[in-house]
Amino acid sequence: MTSTEFQAVVLAAGRGSRLPEVLGDAPKCLLPIGPHPLLWYPLTMLQRHNFSEAIVVVLEHQKVEIQQALERTPIKIKVDYATIPYDSDFGTADSLRYIYDRIKSDFLVVSCDIVSNVSLYPLINKFREHDAALALLLFKSGFESDVVLPGPKNKHKPERDIIGIHPDTQRLAFLLAASDCEDTLNIQRHLLKDRGQLNVYGRLLDAHIYVLKKWVINYLHTKENISTFKGEFLPHLIKKQHVKRSAKLQQDTTSELGVNTKPGDNILHYVPTTALNQKITQTSLFNDSLSHVPYHGDAVRCYAIQAPREAIGVRVNSTLSFCALNRKLASIWNDLCGESYPLIALGATVKSTQTKEIIVADNAKLSEKTSLNYSVFGPNCVVNPKNIVSNSILMSNSIVEEGCNIDNCIVGHKAHVKSGSVLKNCLIGPNYVVEEDSKNQSVHLSNADEYMEIDIQ
Amino acid sequence: MAQFEKEIVQAVLIADNNVWNFKPLSDDNSTALLPLVNVSMLDYALIALNRSGVEEVFVYASLFLQNIRDYIKQGIETYASWSFKMKVQVIGGEGCRCFGDAMRDLDAKALIRGNFILLGADTVTNADLRPVLEQHKRTAKFDKGAAATLVFKQCSNNLRTGNELLIALDNRNDRLHYHQRLRMNQRETRFPIPLDIFLNNSSVALHHNLLDPQIAIGSPSMLSLFSDNFDFQTRDDFIRGLLINEELLDSRIYVALLPPTQYAHKVNNWLSYQLVSRDIINRWAYPLVPDMGVYKLQQEYVFHKDNIYKSHDAHVPKVALRENVVVQTGSHVGTGTVISNSVLGANCRIGKNCELSNVFLMADVTILDGCQLEFCVVGTGATINENCIIKSGAVIGNKCVLPAKTQLAKKLVSAVKPSQEYVLETIGPHAYIISDSATDDPGDSDNEDLLPQQTQCIPKMGDLPSHLQPEDSDYSSSSEEDGSRAPTPLPDDTNIFLSEVVDSLTRGFREKSNPDFLILEINSSRYAYNMSLKEVNFNVVKAVFGMQSIREPANNNVLGAINAAFKQLGTVVSNYIKSPDAMLDCLKALEDVCEENDLVREKISQVVHYLYDKDFVTESAILAWYNQLDDEEHATLKQSLTKLVDWLNQSSEDDDEEDDESE
Repeated sequence: MTSTEFQAVVLAAGRGSRLPEVLGDAPKCLLPIGPHPLLWYPLTMLQRHNFSEAIVVVLEHQKVEIQQALERTPIKIKVDYATIPYDSDFGTADSLRYIYDRIKSDFLVVSCDIVSNVSLYPLINKFREHDAALALLLFKSGFESDVVLPGPKNKHKPERDIIGIHPDTQRLAFLLAASDCEDTLNIQRHLLKDRGQLNVYGRLLDAHIYVLKKWVINYLHTKENISTFKGEFLPHLIKKQHVKRSAKLQQDTTSELGVNTKPGDNILHYVPTTALNQKITQTSLFNDSLSHVPYHGDAVRCYAIQAPREAIGVRVNSTLSFCALNRKLASIWNDLCGESYPLIALGATVKSTQTKEIIVADNAKLSEKTSLNYSVFGPNCVVNPKNIVSNSILMSNSIVEEGCNIDNCIVGHKAHVKSGSVLKNCLIGPNYVVEEDSKNQSVHLSNADEYMEIDIQ
Repeated sequence: MAQFEKEIVQAVLIADNNVWNFKPLSDDNSTALLPLVNVSMLDYALIALNRSGVEEVFVYASLFLQNIRDYIKQGIETYASWSFKMKVQVIGGEGCRCFGDAMRDLDAKALIRGNFILLGADTVTNADLRPVLEQHKRTAKFDKGAAATLVFKQCSNNLRTGNELLIALDNRNDRLHYHQRLRMNQRETRFPIPLDIFLNNSSVALHHNLLDPQIAIGSPSMLSLFSDNFDFQTRDDFIRGLLINEELLDSRIYVALLPPTQYAHKVNNWLSYQLVSRDIINRWAYPLVPDMGVYKLQQEYVFHKDNIYKSHDAHVPKVALRENVVVQTGSHVGTGTVISNSVLGANCRIGKNCELSNVFLMADVTILDGCQLEFCVVGTGATINENCIIKSGAVIGNKCVLPAKTQLAKKLVSAVKPSQEYVLETIGPHAYIISDSATDDPGDSDNEDLLPQQTQCIPKMGDLPSHLQPEDSDYSSSSEEDGSRAPTPLPDDTNIFLSEVVDSLTRGFREKSNPDFLILEINSSRYAYNMSLKEVNFNVVKAVFGMQSIREPANNNVLGAINAAFKQLGTVVSNYIKSPDAMLDCLKALEDVCEENDLVREKISQVVHYLYDKDFVTESAILAWYNQLDDEEHATLKQSLTKLVDWLNQSSEDDDEEDDESE
């Protein structure tokens, strides 16, 4: 086992509860984004940053499926699977705690749903520079803003985070979900005092890319009541930045165990410090300010880096972002992945002559006399002649018969659109059969009941 | 036509601010004419405007109108430095009682033609406001509803003078979204800010370290907004009103921050008076420094090292001046006297062997031999006889005569006897200590934009904490906060309940409302937060001691404050504290109070004795409580109670004996 500076952990055990329409029973991390499954994107990103291996956390019963799917993709990074049991209460923090013993160094935690071309080096460098406990990456949101979600109209309410950052130091002051707040946000005085300006952002997107110190997982390991990483552990850790090493506490650490304080309780027991280290920080000119105690004496430090404006960063965690990304993928493909990966798979047969910005996966058959624009065609899907498909996503094994006009739709796995249908803004569930000459607009067509029957078969 | 007319820069200067805060010196003359480092405050404001290229100034005054008129007239006649290229007019506002009235009056008079600079006469600044004015004009071009641009200055706000602010700004266009004045005495632990601000704007900057020097650029619409909303009394009302009714009034406020090199501060009370004097002497407000001839175009002082400014014809022995001292013409200092960080007005006479530090003498003050003065202000023509000791923020009014060997601290002394009950004590035929509590009669006396009634006493001078000290103490306090913060990130019901009870009691105490209503209020809060009886008992007592009047009692007389509180609220307390268990709760609450309130801790045995005397707690409850106090944790508390407990034991034995005898 070679010792590396950073290990990478990709969390791919999500159940995709926010995209039930398109997911069916497939694992979330295998959602088709263009020609590749979702998981391929974070892995490629890690690969681009010279990670040679990554721990991928998957659900036990999905491991084989995911493994097979990844083997079909052009990926060089060594994937080390870690399985967690299927249990609906198992949160992301639980997952990390579960693989606790496999983490030997500082590590990156990456969510499987991030599709981005951003460079992680600024993030990692910030982490190194300030000996931080945590560094996280923020994107500007709004990638999906101009996309209309197919299916019945409903108010899409994006989940938003309220993020406080000190602009001078890029220290993270707080991070909370807007939905967790009441009408007012209580900002503690110590976040403002002596720290100058505090910028509060309401429209930034947490990329779910975290760089963490090794000791953080030790600490997390003891916090067994914390279940989710983003929702509970992060705010907890960020809050703990301001814990001061009191004189009393120092005594306790030196003289074995204190009577009253439980060693597992205080985060500072986990922060490795030596007297020498402290002296170095105090005397070093290399810290965030000269006019006060370095880092205000904080031992735990969390930083946030904002990705540059032109960077692409999307989290595929809802049907809307799934839809938006697939539709725009062809136009941003070169920025995202470079030219080394083809958009039209070698095994696909494209006979259509009128195409614009389409992505075609393996074994898809696109017949002649079709007009196909801004669309994604999954593996093994079939489009017969005389069809117009635009702004749509055809998932694997779906079939479109002749003479259809499909606009801004998602056609699910193994769905079948019979000839002469006109569909606009529709969501077609997996295995659904659209009858001949049907005309639909803004509906969600699925056969949840039938679906069950098929499942039993 | 209009476009050919050159737009002239106009400014409005509001005189007569903070009248109450500058008592008793504000009794005889306008606060605008109060000398600050021997130059009246009005001059500083006028010079600031002159330096910013203002061509026409309206000085708005209501109290001592004639004095201001004469002063301006005299200034113009003697070619005061601000009188060049600037037209100054005094507008009298009879019956004008607040800032809002002044603005409404100005609107009615229709003197303001365009964007204008609005300044208080109490502002000392060397800032060039031209860029800010330009910024305002640019903003107004984009946003027709831009009513004002407020000018703030960054500072460290370890010391509160009542000018500190927390604001939320939009990072993209500097628009103000939230405005909160920080309280003087109390240190807030958290700031509640409406969530919508952050949700509706992508990037909001919170500034906590700002100082409000009361400078603003107003659009013409600002005046009409005051006219339309007759409930706007102060500038803060205006800001609050606009922020709340943004859409309704279709007006917005913008903010400009002064660059770090420019100085601006508002002199709104004696504490800021001391601060600004220090800054002027230390040349932070350059070129508004004594030796530049701020007011008259002539050299008044010679500038020596250690920031000593001495007039040519002042007679001062060389050793007497330590550092940061200004001595006006005609002053005489006796031998053996040491002066530091002080300002001496014209023709002051100081005897031998005096010690003066942080003392501000107006003109013609006489101090006789052997006096010790520290952190105090002495008005024009006052006389202080031999061997007086005056310190910690005392203010001696004009023409006072203090008898020999007077000792004063934190007192306001007036020469003339005020008519009513304000007099606390008479120390001489020309010296009466007057009340410094601002809550007595604020409506009548503060003429201009005073803070909402948050302060109880006039803020006084004192030892300024050096830069490092408060930080240290703050660290420790924040680490304490940490301890309590970790388990309870949100205010739990108990705390909300406690604060509600404190509010109820404070209001009840102030308004002398019926105790029954208070009990009803507390009970309804109790059910709202589902408090057990024990918790209610505990918190009610804690709340009584948590009232502001006890936390920060006048003159630190905590026993007096407690007595006053219990006189009014005793019925409420005794309604809850009936059973022996309740008494124990009551005493336990005292334990908590002791930890939070130093004054109570010092006097704990008297406090307990008082409660015993007034039959709130019985002897057995006190003894039971005393016995269960932890020896180590409450060592000091126990120690201070020992005497009382001994006495109680004694008397109970006596009682027993009596009982025995009777049997």
